[in-house]
Formats: sequence, C-alpha cells, structure tokens
Amino acid sequence: MSGEAKTQVLILDDEPIVCRRLQPNLEKSGYEVETFIRSDEALARVRQKHFDVVITDIKMEGLDGLGFLEQVKKISPGTEVIVITGFATMDTAKKSFQGGVFDFVAKPFSLSEIQGIVRKAEQKALQNS
Amino acid sequence: MSWLVNILDRLNKAKGQARQARVPFAVTFEGFQKILELNNEVLELMADMGDKMGGHFIFDRQYIISSAQTAKELVQQIIMEMNKIAPRKYLGLYESFQAIADQIDADLAGRLLIPQTPYVIPMAKVGSDALEAVGNKNARLAEVGRVLGVPTPPGFTVTTRAFGDFMEHAGLRRRLQPWLERWRSGEITSRQAAEALRPLVMEAELPPGLERDMRLAAQRLLGEAPGGVKTFAVRSSASGEDGDLSFAGQFRSLLGVEPDQLAEAYREVVASGYSARALEYSQRWNAAEDLTAMAVGCELMVDAQAAGVLYTLDPQHPEKDYMLISAGYGLGEPVVGGRTAADQYRVSRQPPHQVLGLDVVRKHQRLQAQPGGGIAVRPVEAALESAPALNTDQMARLAEMAHHIENYFKTPQDIEWALDGRGEFVILQVRPLNLKSQVTQLVCNIAEVLKERPVLFSGRGAVAQRGIGTGPVYLVERDEDLDEFPDGAILVTRFTSPRLGRVMGRAHGVITDVGTPTGHLATIAREFRVPTIVNTGVATHILRPGMEVTIDAEQNVVYEGTVKELCYFQFTEDMFEESQEFRQLRRVLRRIAPLNLVDPQDKDFTPRGCKTLHDITRFVHEKAVEEITNIDQHYHPGATAKNLKIDLPLGLTIIDIGGGLDAPEQARQVTVEQITSRPGRALLEGMAEPGLWSTQPMSVDLGSFMSSVTRTFANSLTSPREVGQNLAVVSREYLNLNLRLGYHFNIIDAYIADEISANYIYFRFLGGVTDLTRRTRRAKLLAEVLAHDDFRTEVRGDLVVGRIKKLPAEVMIEKMRLLGRLVSYSRQLDVKMQNDAQIDQYLDEFFKFNDGPELAVKS
Repeated sequence: MSGEAKTQVLILDDEPIVCRRLQPNLEKSGYEVETFIRSDEALARVRQKHFDVVITDIKMEGLDGLGFLEQVKKISPGTEVIVITGFATMDTAKKSFQGGVFDFVAKPFSLSEIQGIVRKAEQKALQNS
Repeated sequence: MSWLVNILDRLNKAKGQARQARVPFAVTFEGFQKILELNNEVLELMADMGDKMGGHFIFDRQYIISSAQTAKELVQQIIMEMNKIAPRKYLGLYESFQAIADQIDADLAGRLLIPQTPYVIPMAKVGSDALEAVGNKNARLAEVGRVLGVPTPPGFTVTTRAFGDFMEHAGLRRRLQPWLERWRSGEITSRQAAEALRPLVMEAELPPGLERDMRLAAQRLLGEAPGGVKTFAVRSSASGEDGDLSFAGQFRSLLGVEPDQLAEAYREVVASGYSARALEYSQRWNAAEDLTAMAVGCELMVDAQAAGVLYTLDPQHPEKDYMLISAGYGLGEPVVGGRTAADQYRVSRQPPHQVLGLDVVRKHQRLQAQPGGGIAVRPVEAALESAPALNTDQMARLAEMAHHIENYFKTPQDIEWALDGRGEFVILQVRPLNLKSQVTQLVCNIAEVLKERPVLFSGRGAVAQRGIGTGPVYLVERDEDLDEFPDGAILVTRFTSPRLGRVMGRAHGVITDVGTPTGHLATIAREFRVPTIVNTGVATHILRPGMEVTIDAEQNVVYEGTVKELCYFQFTEDMFEESQEFRQLRRVLRRIAPLNLVDPQDKDFTPRGCKTLHDITRFVHEKAVEEITNIDQHYHPGATAKNLKIDLPLGLTIIDIGGGLDAPEQARQVTVEQITSRPGRALLEGMAEPGLWSTQPMSVDLGSFMSSVTRTFANSLTSPREVGQNLAVVSREYLNLNLRLGYHFNIIDAYIADEISANYIYFRFLGGVTDLTRRTRRAKLLAEVLAHDDFRTEVRGDLVVGRIKKLPAEVMIEKMRLLGRLVSYSRQLDVKMQNDAQIDQYLDEFFKFNDGPELAVKS
C-alpha cells in the first residue's frame, strides 16, 4: 500500500460521535476516511468515488442502513460493507440481510475490534478488484 | 430480637391486611431468587457502563439511553419483587426510585439541572464533579490547581444554584422573558434589549443569604491572605463557556473589587450575560439557550509585576513548534483584551524550553491593583520601558507550567498568567486553543510518517489510558527511584503499583511489564490522563534508561525517538473526555453506580437513604435476606431458620424447604452431620477441612484501605460492619447459598440428584476490600482453579462466574467439596497477594491442599 493507493473507507452514522472517533483511528492505520451523518449525502459520494470499505449504521432517518447497503452494492459491487448497529437491532439486522454484507458489529464496539474487521474487509475488497 | 419484632409486626398487620402479610415460603423464596438474578444483571450492566468510560470503546447516545433505561427497568423489577415478599413494607423505595429515575431522564434529555449546592464554594474545595455547579472556567482552573498543583489565585465560586435562585427570587426570569422574546422575534435590536434588561438585573434583589455567604467567604480568604492587595477579581464562568463555545471576552470581568462591593459586582457580571454583544454572540452561534446558568468566580487580585497570555502552539505557525508568550507589566487585562502592544516571546515546546526569539516593545504604562480597591494606570520606570517583561529564566519556567497543562488536557492551551510580587507564576485562566484546521494540514499523511518510524514493540499488553507521550525512559525498580523521577519522563517499571501515583502528574507516559488495565494504577492514570500501557511483558527488557521514546497508547505502539507528528495528530482529535457523550454517560452513571449505603447498621440505611440505583439494589438485597431468614413459623410450618453449629466464624442460617436437614423441627441449631442436603453437606465439609481457613486478621495497608474508602464504583462491600447475614436454603437435592465472608459476596446455587441431566452448579464471586488490581488477582486465582476443575469460567474485573452441569452426582459432590475448600482458602487472599507473581504461588499451595494424596497418584 503506497501513499498513492490508500484504501478508501466511508463511514456513515447519524451519531456524529461515531464518525468523530472512528475517523482519526482509521486514518492513523493508513486508511483514507470520509465520514457522513446523512445517508443521501453518503450515497451521492459513493456515486462519485470508489470506496473499498463502507461502514454504515442501520437505523437512520431517510434511507436506512439496509437501503444504503443495497444501493452501494448496486453502484459498486466490489465494495465491502460492514454494518454497525445497536444490540437491540442486531438480530433483526442479521435476519434481514440476504447476503452481501461483509460483517456485523454490535455497538458499542472496541477500537481494536473494528480495526480487525476493517482489515479483513480490506483484504477481501482488494481481491475483488 | 428483630425476629420477634418481625413476628409481632406481622401478627399486627395480619389483623388488618391478612392477605398481604401471609406470603407462602415458596413465593418468598422465588422472589428472593428473582431479586438475586436481577441484582446480578444490574451489577453487570453497571460494570459494562463503567468500562465504556475508559475510552477504548466507541459508543453513542443510543447506548447511554438504552443502558440507563435497562438499569431503571431492572431496578424497578427488583422493587416489585421485594414488594411481593414483604408487602407494603418498603413503599418508600418507589419514591426514592422515582426521584432517581427523574434525574436520569433529565440527564438523558440534556435538561440542565442546577445542582443543589451551597451558594458559595471555595475554589480549593471544587471537586471533579462540580462542573455544573461552578461552570467550565472555574472547574478547569480548580482542576489544574487540584490535579497538577499549578498555583492559582485563592478564591471562591458563586454557584449556578445561586444564579438559579437569583433568577427565581423576585421573579427576575419572568421579567426578563418578554424582552428576550421581543428581541428574538426581531421586534427590537439587541442594543435595545440590552438597555431594557440590564437595569432589571442590576436592581433585582439577591436571594436571602447570598450576600452574607459571599461576605463570609471573602472574609475567610482575606484572613488567610498573606498581605498585599486585598481586593477581588470577579469573573463569569457560565455553563457552556469555554466548552463547545469559548464566549471569550463576551462577559464582563471586574478587577479590584472591594469585599463590600462583591454583591454589586456579582450583579454586574450576571447582567453582562444580557449585554448586546453577549446576546449577538449566542445568536450567531445558535447557542441552545440564552444564558441558562452562570457561575461567578471571585478571586483575590494578584499583585502582578507582569502578566499576559501564553499559547502552547502558535495558531499562525503551528508547524514551527514553539509556544507564544505575550507579556506586559502589571495586570494582564490590557494584553488579554488586545488593547495595548505587548512583548512577544517564542519559546521551544520541548523541555528545557529554550527561548527562540524575542519581540520586545516599549511599554509606557502598567495597570495596577490599588491596595484600597480599584485599579489605576501607572507609568513604567524609564529604565524598564524597553526591557522584556520577563527574563529568560522566567519564560522557561512559565513554558514548563504550560507544558504540564497542555499534556494534561491533550490539546493546545490558551493560558492567562501573572507573575506575582514574589516572582511566582499564578495561572488565572485555562482554555483550549482551537486550531484544529491548521494542525490537520500538518499531519494529513500520518500513516506514511508512522511507517518510517522504528517501532520498538507494538500490540503488547493493554492500554489503560489512551493518549500520546514522548520523553526519555526512566526505569523504576525500587520505590526510592521515584524520588529522582524527572519531569516529562516515560515511567517504565515491571509491576504496577499504586505507589507510582506519586509521580503520575509529572510523567508523560507509563509502560509496565505486568498489570491489568482495570487496576488501581489505571485509575490514577486516567485521573491524570497519562498515556499508559500495562502488561507488555517486555518493556523493562527493551527500553533502556535515558532512551527517547514515543508511547502511542491509542494504537498500542512504542516508537524509538520523538514522533512529533503523533503529538500534533492528537490535537486534531476531539478529546474523548470532552465529548458530550462522555459527559452524559458520566452524569448518568453518577445517578446509577455510586454506592452510598454500605452499612446496614447506619441510620441512613433506609429506602429514603437510597440516592442511586446501586443503593436501592444494595438495600433490597440486604432486606430480602433478612426477610427470608425471619421466617414466621406460624405461617410456614416446616420451613424454620436454624443456625449452623460449626467451628468456623461463619454465622450461617439454614432454611430447609424439604429433606435438607435431619433435625427436630423446633431445634434452633444444627450440625454439619445433620445436613442431608447433598450439595449443602458436600460444600460445608469442604469448607470445614482443616488448614484452609485463615483466621488471623490481615493488616490492610494504607493504599488498599484508601481505595476501599474512596471507591464509589464498587460492586462489593466496603466496611467490615456490613457483613450481612449468611444464608443457605436447602432441600435434599438443592442448595442456594449467599455468603459474605469478610468483604466478599459469594453465591453458590446447586442441584444434585441421581438424574444427571438436571444437575448443575453455579458459582459467583465478587468484591473485596482492596483495590481492584488485587481483587482482580484473586479473581484470576479463582478462575484458574475453576477452569482447572472443568467449570465453564468467566472473569470480568473482580467478578468470577463458574458453571458446570450434567455430570453424575458423585462427580458433582466432589465439585462442591472443591468449592468449599476454595471459598475457605480464598478468604482475604486479595490482601495477601501483593503482586501477580504470587498468584501462581498461592495456586500451587491450593492445589497441594486440594489434590493432596491424589497429586502423588497423578504424577
């Protein structure tokens, strides 16, 4: 991974604290990170630019995490999507996904946990391309 | 006697409300078990919420809301269960619960609750939880004084409570409101609004007692003051000020206020919250409310020979890595307000803080506090006019102080300082310097930079406190080494020890070979916000004294040399501890976790005395045990409470619910031989084996004692007097044991019958008198033994849970004997075990006891 070809990560969560804390953490590990708190804006960005890994919350105003995942996969099939969600919606989330999602993470999660999952998603995304 | 009183009480009640009073034992016992179960759930939830404060987890508001909600629901269920087993006896619990739940809801809704403090709090007594009472500015200043020992002016705070009462007294808020509304609707300008608002505040009567409290506090300070100027500086400290918004310079500060003018000055400062510029400022930033609560600081004037401002990083040139000092003669107000030209000095950010450049201007005048009150402009002596206001030695000393403050807050600081008549620096105000956008440009390629840096080790051990620090390695092998600890060094040591707390405020980082992130040291590290990695296993081997290193306790990496970029990178991150979510969790936890009710003998051990959810669970648990042991024979024939006669200081009450005892019904005492309960008999035989039970009292050293006194987030018991009742409920196949031995809290629940599939043992152990590190050691030892003996084992901090099931009766009985031995053996072990290495030693000793002759057979 040279300076020119950083892995591109997009984070979408309507709770700004998640973006604010996750972004610097991933940047330090060498990812280039963009964050969004509105799904329509995140989707517009996905149309413009390729992301290797997308991390998205489930419950959001407007287009929710499920809808967002579907759109991302349609626009960019090689993108790996990690879903983060509160424990209450974890089961429903798992059930409602027919596939296509890389992994689920229950909120709250530890920084090392998300790092590990992003790393695996990154490897898979690189194989995809 | 309480037993008798209870019966009489019940008989009395039975006349009027026979239905409620007669609770069949089966119902009582079921309720009791339900309470235990719920109690465990609440304790685990509290531990989980406490964990999230450490910074390694990302959580959001939803987490706080749902956890708090769950905690409330669980505790409400506990109260309902209690009401089932002791109908209408503790109705006060509903009231206490409602009050706590309302507070939690207010916290969750972000409503400002003005804490019910005194009107006036001396700055020296402002604690870490006083933010809402004293406002951001005062809280910060008190914090650097308290934690870092930085000199600050003696003073006191007029609290937000005083403000709240001022607003309500004589209907001030009601009279301000119409003007504010007209201004908000655009009907009048901010200037017009301010002109109408100011006289309302200035003429309003203060609430009774406020003026007197201020006068008394002022007199006390003046009595203690060493001389010099006897007047006050009166400054605002609003909630929100210097928080998300700086409000810098929006409110008035008054200087040279005489003690009998303090009340007037107080009104002035409050009125400045409604000045045209303050109104416009809050509107521009869309501040959530108009002035919600303003605390006011009253500090003794510093007889300043020089004063000014220090930025720990130059906002214009952050890449140049120096501190920027602005200085003038006399009081700092003209320099702070930018009304006069001032000297500018550039000083290196790194110790020993070399002076890099001076820009000295001609200073004609100085502002001075007058001994009799007020301030006056005086000419500067001709010889000094063109000299720097500080000498290089003073610049370096000031920079060192600033360096400490920045290290503590982990972000560049804007510091107001003064040099007093005796040549000592005093810090007047501290606030974060906002330069995120500038710094971000410096570090956009942080990952690239890091790749080139030599890593000494990474991913070893556990992060106890996040953060980044650089400095020379200082190896601590013995306690005496601490005497020589240099400022700004990285402390490297083999074991964690609370004694390291002595130098924590001066360390830039801590790295240990052994230890846990939940230990006492970690608590201190968090208090001082010192980046700390524990349990690396290799630190003392790899790190040599004097070596320059960078500790990255974010990613758990230790680099050789100084990685300056990392320090800058840290500035771009929001301080987790400053985030709203962190503060909200902390506020909510304050209503949930602290344990105030520790002693059942205490007069406050009542439903009304419950101030937190933890208090309620503690109270109910104690009373539930009492309820079940005070069984009324008249209503529950066959289920009588008997005392166990045994040669151990155990004090165990046994209740037989069917075939668990072979003793006459009216007997008050039973022996171990009379126990026919299979699990009960086996456990007690194990406990009573000779040689295991240490009866000699342990001397608890001061550190442990202090930690047991100060620990508020304790899942355990803290005073020897609170040893409640030990209780076993037995039947032929069943045992439910609740044990408080010394300070531990132990539950064993077991069913052993010939039918294998129904057999189970549940073991749960929690608490202790000593600090968490040592309790965790004991937890480890217990877990090792349980795991070794095939229990499915979980450890969380000092909580150990072991489960085993579906084994033949004779195997289960052997397991119960083992548990008996273990319970006896582990009594007070946490006090005995001084370091982690001893875990193995005591483990060996136990296995020798336990396996005894078998060991020889095995080997």
